[in-house]
Amino acid sequence: TVRPKNEVEQKQLCAFGEYVAEIMPKYIQQVQVTCFNELELLIHPDGIIPVLTFLRDHTNAQFKSLADLTAVDVPSRQYRFEVVYNLLSLRFNSRIRVKTYTDELTPIDSAVSVHKAANWYEREVWDMYGVFFANHPDLRRILTDYGFEGHPFRKDFPLSGYVEV
Amino acid sequence: QTTGLVGLAVAENPHERLRILYTKILGVLQNIPKDAAYRKYTEQIVNERFDLVKKETDVQKLQDKLNSGHIEEVIVQAENELSLARKMIQWKPWEPLVEEPPSDQWRWPI
Repeated sequence: TVRPKNEVEQKQLCAFGEYVAEIMPKYIQQVQVTCFNELELLIHPDGIIPVLTFLRDHTNAQFKSLADLTAVDVPSRQYRFEVVYNLLSLRFNSRIRVKTYTDELTPIDSAVSVHKAANWYEREVWDMYGVFFANHPDLRRILTDYGFEGHPFRKDFPLSGYVEV
Repeated sequence: QTTGLVGLAVAENPHERLRILYTKILGVLQNIPKDAAYRKYTEQIVNERFDLVKKETDVQKLQDKLNSGHIEEVIVQAENELSLARKMIQWKPWEPLVEEPPSDQWRWPI
């Protein structure tokens, strides 16, 4: 069986995506809606804080809840890491995904000033991928062992690590 | 007398507070260029809500017409919109794109 297509929701998400892209053309590079009705905004890294604050504070887009903050490693690209923010709006019951890119050495602005929940998520992304977050209050390792060297979730980090346990 | 929500006290005289906030927002929006989409849409939203606030004096009916939760939540939302408008003046998001991404950046599957 195939999941039934919800055309109404698809159209609403497309319309909202165009609305946001019209308001912030300086930072939004692309907007896409997946076939499963998930809206994604693809952002330039300078625009993280403006876009996240807009999505949190604007009346038509009260995305008050940061559901997830992750990263994706695609080693073949010039900017290998893709930082993904998943937001949830409780007022309008809808979700949105915001994606940015960075390479290994360029810092990204921390989202902690916008969403307090980003604190530990950003520590995890730093620990697992090595993406540095500027203006983070306390960026240190959170999941790896105390003297651990390396960033485990990168694609060039071997499955059983470099050190024998 | 309680809102039923944690941390939100009951607002006495919400019409006055909303009136002040909406006039402040409209004042801040004047500093944005007239053709910016943010200014157009926010002015539309604020004017709609402002007209409803001016016409309806009963708090319960106003909450139903605005269809946006308690009046205290509407006040909090207006305060957020005001702070957002002030920050937008510094960030200027209506300008054209800052930098194009590399051509393979958003291609999926790779």
